Amino acid sequence: MRYAFSKLAKNDYAKYPFLKAAIKYVQIPDLRIQDLADSNRENILKRAQQRLEEAIFDNIVSRDLHHEDIEIISFPVAVMLAMATKNSFIQKRYALAEANQTYEDLRKESEEKTLEVAKNFGWELASNKESRMPYRFALNLVDYLRNTTHLREKPWKLVNRMLSNGNVYLGIDEVARLLKEEVRRHIEKRLELKELPAFPPKITEIAEKIRKLSEDTIGKTEMEGFPKAIVQVAFPPCIKALYESFSSGRHLSHVGRFTLTSFLINIGMPPETVVEFFKSFSDYNERMTRYQVEHIAGEKGSRTRYIPPKCDTLKTHGVCTNPDELCQRMRHPLSYYRIKVKAT
Amino acid sequence: MDSLTYVQNTFRDYYANNFSLQSALQMIEKREFGFASFDGWMLRHRSFKTKNELTMFLQDFAPHDAYFSCAYYEEPEAEMERKGWLGADLVFDIDADHIPTQCSKIHDEWTCGNCAFSGKGITPEKCPKCGNERFDTRTWPCEVCLDSAKTETVKLLDFLMRDFGFSDKEIRVFFSGHRGYHIHVENEAARSLNSMARKEIVDYVTGLGLDITYFGLSDRKILQGPSTKDQGWRGRIARSAYDFVRNANEDDYKNAGLQTNVELLIRNKKALLKSLDGVGTWSTVKGVAFGTWKRLVEHSIGSISAKVDTAVTTDVHRLIRLADTLHGKTGLKKVEFALSAVSTFDPFKSAIAFKAGTAKVIVSDAPKFRLDNEIFGPYKCKKIELPTAAALLLVCKGRAKVVE
Ligand code: SF4
Ligand SMILES: [Zn+2]
Ligand SMILES: [Zn+2]
Repeated sequence: MRYAFSKLAKNDYAKYPFLKAAIKYVQIPDLRIQDLADSNRENILKRAQQRLEEAIFDNIVSRDLHHEDIEIISFPVAVMLAMATKNSFIQKRYALAEANQTYEDLRKESEEKTLEVAKNFGWELASNKESRMPYRFALNLVDYLRNTTHLREKPWKLVNRMLSNGNVYLGIDEVARLLKEEVRRHIEKRLELKELPAFPPKITEIAEKIRKLSEDTIGKTEMEGFPKAIVQVAFPPCIKALYESFSSGRHLSHVGRFTLTSFLINIGMPPETVVEFFKSFSDYNERMTRYQVEHIAGEKGSRTRYIPPKCDTLKTHGVCTNPDELCQRMRHPLSYYRIKVKAT
Repeated sequence: MDSLTYVQNTFRDYYANNFSLQSALQMIEKREFGFASFDGWMLRHRSFKTKNELTMFLQDFAPHDAYFSCAYYEEPEAEMERKGWLGADLVFDIDADHIPTQCSKIHDEWTCGNCAFSGKGITPEKCPKCGNERFDTRTWPCEVCLDSAKTETVKLLDFLMRDFGFSDKEIRVFFSGHRGYHIHVENEAARSLNSMARKEIVDYVTGLGLDITYFGLSDRKILQGPSTKDQGWRGRIARSAYDFVRNANEDDYKNAGLQTNVELLIRNKKALLKSLDGVGTWSTVKGVAFGTWKRLVEHSIGSISAKVDTAVTTDVHRLIRLADTLHGKTGLKKVEFALSAVSTFDPFKSAIAFKAGTAKVIVSDAPKFRLDNEIFGPYKCKKIELPTAAALLLVCKGRAKVVE
């Protein structure tokens, strides 16, 4: 099957199987869950399982461009498998691992195809026509902001970018980086499905295997996340944002990291768990992390336990995010949490 | 008659007889409205289907202050969590409260609400004595201060059009009725921006977090500095530095923190201008080292950034004063004016709501001020009969009491 209007070929869809049009390129578009257990579909299921295993072991999912059909169709199947594990850690990790591969591919991609991938996500991305500016791409400001506000590194700050006439100018590597975020979010969203279908026994069986594998390689505590006494839904918006951006592998500002750490400690998370949490989602130096966490908890150095900054301070540092109605009455994220815990 | 009753009666008169909503209100039915009454309570979560309905309400209620949301909601009357936020205009507030002027030290005062420590000029964020953050302030809508707010507005407009690419049809400007200007951007794509994204926009126009290493200036060696022909902040920096170098005298350099290099800079003026105006190879000016360029650039950034109030722009639920209604602190109207009229707009003419009548007042103290073509004051403990607009301004600002 060929689609004249698309600048992407089947091979590209094998590389970027999450694109909307990808499924049109495979011979068996209306594959049903039940059919997956058939022996002649075994290859698909196998590759799907492999995708998840690669995510767990290597944090990146490879591409096999010699078997395009299987490559394309095994992606939605892998998403389903991830859902069947019912484990949000595995799901997040899988989304990130697919996105990591996409980043590697896009960095080397042609301009034309990059534009096509961006278009799939509704971005207004164009090749740069202004010869005076040494950038290959121009991205619409709103699209840029939507994809960068949680990236705290200085070069992503709008004020440090070339902005002209509503466009932010970017190099190929930067575009790849931002599309990676978009892909990760897109896959996470697909995984969010509220009502799970009834999976055939074969699928549940594989899902269980993956769970087991993940526990063995990554460790149980990290996969389980928070102790029961901590009520995540009671987090104020600022903490929620910090937590989410950190757990999806983004870098936090110094204030952001201090706020998150001191918050978690003050609501009763054991310092050990906080260290584990930081370790599992980043390449922070473990010894430093441990030292800092213990310092904030008052176990090292000063002996005083630190509390998070108050709302006013967080506002000036730009950590305060989408404050809600309850926030209007609060001066401190900890009081927000305490009140909300009582209410839930 | 006590002063509050006087103000209330005068406001009633305005809403009943002179009031009309001139300014356009996009999607009025999706906005939340709020009103402050003369008894001191706040009526919130109101909505109106049409401008007519809103006009009738205002004629009847004659509020102390009237507000509408920059946000659009599915159900504006519901509680905040159930309103269903659909988006919000991008709004900027430029207020004399945040702009340092010489005269603010004369006409503005603050007193700590906790320890009564007081001072003149811009209100600090924290009381220098006890750290408290609440203050009683006594300010004045001064012409000089409003002019500097206008200068900031002009700078902001340039950012919005050239860098952000908003068209003049999407940008609306207002005099707030007190000490500043409001700038609204009504652009469909920008509507969806969350508060973090808006913070990035504020940081852009205020230059907060700008790091000169991303503009060709890294430690000790100058690679390719900005040129006046560049776009974005690069061009702004170069153009601002260019203007500065072209006009600066010895004192200007000293004030900019360049005292040690004054002579060198003045001697090299031509070469400096050429570097800034050309392709931006800054390192060619002999004797002018990295540190000097850096200081020059930092000074330029400070003078071209637009001083907007961060809290207003980043609050996507903010209630903003409704245009054509009276400001409770002045009795002046909030008024919209054409973008093209920024330079000629006169707030002390266009915002006057009362053209007739007089009132007898005792003024405790007030600086010299102007309304339209008439100059008043300064007054100190003086009983006097004044035109309604002037009397109202003094009474609203707590500088005068109505007699009898
Ligand atoms: S108001 Fe306070 S608690 Fe709410 S989001 Fe902002 S900083 Fe957090
Ligand atoms: Zn004090
Ligand atoms: Zn002044």
